[in-house]
Amino acid sequence: MSSWIDYTVNGIIIGNIYALLAVGLALIFGVSRLINFAHGSVYVVGAYAGFLAVTHLGTPLPVTIALVVVVGALLGLVIERFGLRPLQGYAHIAPLLATIGISFVLDQLVQLFFTPDPRALPSSLLETRFQIGSGTIGALDLVIAAIGLASAGLLYTFLRYTRLGWAVRATAQDRDAAQQMGVDVDAVNRTVFAIASGLGAVSGLLVGMYYNYIDPAMSFQATLKGVVAQVVGGVGNVPGAIAGSLLLGLVESYGIALFGTSYRNLFAFVLLVAVLVWRPNGLFASKRQTPPEPMTGTFIAPSRPIQIPGKVLLAAAAVAALVPLVLPHPYVLQTLTNSWLYALLGLSLTLIAGTVGLVSLGHAALLAIGGYSSALLALNFGVPVGIAILSAGLIAALLGTVLVFPSFRLRGHYLSIATLAIGEIVSLVILNWEWLTRGPIGVSGIPSLSLFGIELDTDRSVYWFTLVLVIVLAALQLRLLGSHLGRVLRAVRDDDVAARSYGIRLDRYKALAFAFGSFAAGVSGGVTSHIYSYINHETFNAQLSILALTIVILGGMGNVTGAIVGSVLLVGLPEVFRVAAEYRVLIYGLVLLLLVRFRPQGLLGTV
Amino acid sequence: MPVLHRRSLLAAASALVLTRAVQAEPAKGEPVLLGVSGPLTGPNAQYGAQWKQGFDLALDEINGSGGIKGRPLAYIFEDTQSDPRQSVAVAQKFVADPKIVAELGDFASPASMAASPIYQRGKLVQFGFTNSHPDFTKGGDYMWSNSVSQADEQPLSAAYAVKRLGLKKIAVLHLNTDWGRTSKDLFDKAAKEMGAEVVATEGYLPDEKDFRSTLVRVRGAKPDGLMLISYYSDAALIARQVRQAGIKLPIVAASSVYSPKFIELGGDAVEGVFTASRYFPDDPRPQVRDFVGKFKAKYSKEPDAFNAYAYDTMTLMAAVMREYGADRKAIHDGLAKIKDVPSVIFGKTTFDTKTRRVDGAMNVELVVKDGKFQLNESHAAVR
Amino acid sequence: MLAVRGLTRRFGGLTAVDAVDLDVAEKEFVSIIGPNGAGKTTLFNLVTGLDDPDAGTVHLAGRDVTGLPAEKLAALGVARTFQHGRVFANLSVLDNILVGAHVRFKSVRPTWRGPLALLDPIAELALALIRPGKVKAEEAQMREEALAILARFGERLLPRKDNPAYSLSYANRRRVEIGRALALGPRLLMLDEPTAGMNQTETAEMQALIGGLKKTGLTILLIEHKLDMVMQLSDRVVVMDEGHVIANGKPADVRNDPKVIEAYLGHHRAERAPIEEAAE
Ligand SMILES: Nc1ncnc2c1ncn2[C@@H]1O[C@H](COP(=O)(O)OP(=O)(O)OP(=O)(O)O)[C@@H](O)[C@H]1O
Ligand SMILES: [Mg+2]
Repeated sequence: MSSWIDYTVNGIIIGNIYALLAVGLALIFGVSRLINFAHGSVYVVGAYAGFLAVTHLGTPLPVTIALVVVVGALLGLVIERFGLRPLQGYAHIAPLLATIGISFVLDQLVQLFFTPDPRALPSSLLETRFQIGSGTIGALDLVIAAIGLASAGLLYTFLRYTRLGWAVRATAQDRDAAQQMGVDVDAVNRTVFAIASGLGAVSGLLVGMYYNYIDPAMSFQATLKGVVAQVVGGVGNVPGAIAGSLLLGLVESYGIALFGTSYRNLFAFVLLVAVLVWRPNGLFASKRQTPPEPMTGTFIAPSRPIQIPGKVLLAAAAVAALVPLVLPHPYVLQTLTNSWLYALLGLSLTLIAGTVGLVSLGHAALLAIGGYSSALLALNFGVPVGIAILSAGLIAALLGTVLVFPSFRLRGHYLSIATLAIGEIVSLVILNWEWLTRGPIGVSGIPSLSLFGIELDTDRSVYWFTLVLVIVLAALQLRLLGSHLGRVLRAVRDDDVAARSYGIRLDRYKALAFAFGSFAAGVSGGVTSHIYSYINHETFNAQLSILALTIVILGGMGNVTGAIVGSVLLVGLPEVFRVAAEYRVLIYGLVLLLLVRFRPQGLLGTV
Repeated sequence: MPVLHRRSLLAAASALVLTRAVQAEPAKGEPVLLGVSGPLTGPNAQYGAQWKQGFDLALDEINGSGGIKGRPLAYIFEDTQSDPRQSVAVAQKFVADPKIVAELGDFASPASMAASPIYQRGKLVQFGFTNSHPDFTKGGDYMWSNSVSQADEQPLSAAYAVKRLGLKKIAVLHLNTDWGRTSKDLFDKAAKEMGAEVVATEGYLPDEKDFRSTLVRVRGAKPDGLMLISYYSDAALIARQVRQAGIKLPIVAASSVYSPKFIELGGDAVEGVFTASRYFPDDPRPQVRDFVGKFKAKYSKEPDAFNAYAYDTMTLMAAVMREYGADRKAIHDGLAKIKDVPSVIFGKTTFDTKTRRVDGAMNVELVVKDGKFQLNESHAAVR
Repeated sequence: MLAVRGLTRRFGGLTAVDAVDLDVAEKEFVSIIGPNGAGKTTLFNLVTGLDDPDAGTVHLAGRDVTGLPAEKLAALGVARTFQHGRVFANLSVLDNILVGAHVRFKSVRPTWRGPLALLDPIAELALALIRPGKVKAEEAQMREEALAILARFGERLLPRKDNPAYSLSYANRRRVEIGRALALGPRLLMLDEPTAGMNQTETAEMQALIGGLKKTGLTILLIEHKLDMVMQLSDRVVVMDEGHVIANGKPADVRNDPKVIEAYLGHHRAERAPIEEAAE
């Protein structure tokens, strides 16, 4: 029984840490309606700034904290000024993507300066510990809690009793109205970014000290947990974010207690999806309040797509088909084969995110479902590879749709976060469902590609096979878009309320589009598994979901040709930048930022 | 006895290298190229950086002593972020580049094993020197590895924990990756055979940082010792939290924690942690003294396990090429034939031609004492 | 045709629609007027299934439709426009109209019953991709009709039929909305301030158009602030204030009803309709 006290204390302690992250994210979301994916990077910068101060200047804790706050706040100002301010008035997807680009750049800079090695970040605090239950808590736990509470308190006072705080609240409630009433919205944004980033940086410092451990790769997890916590509490709601963080910590802790450590994140993400589906405004929002979310369609930058004549497309396809004859270099063929595989993923997501407006951040899960289905069918049941791949497409369509179906009622960012969580859940289920998926050991010895008994054992044949898949599925998708369904799906995206009022059942058409799109992704995953011969739960990771979204946005949301062009560029560019070695990711991040800034509707435009 | 003959020649040659390294003619001309596929960016970037240090140190020696038959040995490091999509492209690049005579890497199994079919088809040796996945070398006869097989390592860990330290009820915490999981299964088996019981098993994800609740669970199982199948960074995190939770049980950790970082990150909490290593700085073996001394001189820090793997691998490849020739086929065939290459990890490397792995890793039983890894002399073997 | 009884909707402490009764007969033209915030739009939302009432019932052609979702009501022939304009911004003008006709696409949207209903969307997908003759013919026919609807707006929309709706002027977007509503082939047409934001010529044009619709025998429910237009078009006028119906009768009677005058004067808002659009 006493161990339950321990689990509870531990849950609160870890929740305490999440809270530091979630509060900053909530503030920014409250004012800018933006999920700041760069928050984790600010956290990393804070940790390293603290590291420099402690190890080189030997600063005592209060001074270190002050320094880190200043660094974080300045960084926040820079991010706001140069990364986000220029994007005002752009579709919502633009700043979201910009924060992803910023986080690439920041993480990579930290890594270049400090090497990727983890560092120890010693705290100068006494190592006194207090016995609670059968565990102990240390001075740093109390400091973290105190700073969490103090910053929440300060924030509350600031928001309630200062003029700028009032302006922040007004802006959070109705940006346009606030602007009309003379609130300097830019100043508000600046303030919020400075505060939130200062907090984020301090949390990096404190968490680093807490674990005596920092490394440049810890930003993604930090962002992820912070986002989960603040959504559970209700996006944009600061006290909610704190409560959500504690709840998340508790649920994780009890999850470990009941099922074991490897189920920890599973619990976190299931909690998130459950909250989103049942209480989309967060656990602590009042009932029947309209969600603080713009209507659908705001993810889409209005634009006129560039019309590419059919003849040009045919010619392009012909050129692509000739590549192996003209330029038979295996490396080029492999890179292009990869591009075709990602083009399938891009086709899938451009339909789901672009055409019907469900901006999925967990698309890699469909690849994983397809990959495992095809691999296991072929290995365990001797299903011919061609049929296994086809089945993989169908299984991904069915399973993907069933998993996401409950989230169809969510809009905008909420749906994105739900899909992010579902993606993580799929990966964790694969990890834990050992008798089927072989858990972390993964599936090896997957038969290589073959069709009707003919081995596709040359680089060329694999190239042509994947190219044909892309052409066929792209043609099907174009035909779909040219039918009444194309209209209906885009109507759902542009204005779901009006669509309903004209007899369009949202669930039905979202499911239809999701299933159609998932098929392509499942096929892509299936083919990939046979090319790789070995997959495990990390083969199709969250980074791929981000890549998929980038492909789609680069090409133009909903744009079939764009998805193909986007994937050739995004799979090809890192290869081209190979000469830049460690600077590769940096360049990639910068390109992403420039793209968002100067061509938010994508290269070929939104359809 | 031609084999014996050659062996003694080689021994003579290496002795020569050791004593005359400074005077030897530096290698000149067109370099012999190895391809390295591994992470320089992304979440595993730290391991790629450690590889480079080990490689470069070995190359200083090799090229300072005549290189490969007078030509310098060099490598091209292609960053894959340990991502299979990029490792397959890199594999094609290496296979198609006639200058590359063998490939080293990749780091994680998904990236390495996804590229295997390409290396196998291209008949280019893929030397997965950190790939302990039991299926890695099953990818084909061009997949070779000198990564210590967990089937070898884990019984040694179990023996340390059970026979030497006398643990009877062990709680195992393991990284929930292919490596951690395979190791855990092998450890369990060996420990049980030695008469111990595994009372708790907890698998955690690589980016996990908080182990408090895991430890409550572990404590509930009433073990008499903890076994960590971890890398140095997570092992340090766990050890700290174990001590913070007031758990005073002995901790045994897999040899992968052998790194100065383990002590830096773990601080006082890792005092008394038992671990093993393939080598030990005060080891009397000349190759170890040589490696540790030069490494410290070049990088002014202690080498860790990944540095040693990389160093050993580069040395091994050089030995194979010096002996059998610097082309793809010669390397493939040479790996099967080469015998007793001096090695930090194995003492002497000889491949089992069936598994294409190396048996019989060296094992030194260590304990962390006064902030240093030291030979464990205080525990007599418990019988 | 439409019978509303005791309809109520509360938002927190505010009762936006308070026990409203409303009847619209077949082919009748009824207008709802009232000051800002009177609850007119909320009433529309309740009738069209976009919002659920806290109390009361809605009957359409004798059938209880209370709480039915919007998509069902559309299928039953209720079409509406939105006060703030809700065109599909990235769709072309023609596609906007065609979406309005969605419920009338029968060949391409099989509606099977029972367990087969789950396969429905798959069949729809297959039909859309294969496009047998029947489906093609239906699409062509709908396009014809959509063009005919666009033609009703003279040269306003036809030349722009392939332009995306976001590129249209405000007034043209309102026209597209009405066109879209007509494409549904409505039994009941509900217009929420169709002339808001329009200048005088445009308003006159719109009035003529709505008058024309009335002549075709459509049943129409109109929310409008421009009283001249209301008086000229309506068979009956319903006046709402603070969620209540305060008057209901012939245009001339309502105009002179002291309660109505008081409601408007009391709010100091009579006849200032077009401008408040901006404040939204
Ligand atoms: N979703 C909502 N949540 C809270 N209050 C609402 C909501 N929708 C409407 N209201 C409130 O209900 C009241 C009635 O609003 P409604 O839009 O129905 O008025 P209206 O008669 O259409 O006014 P107008 O002439 O300005 O269009 C208003 O006070 C409004 O603020
Ligand atoms: Mg209204």
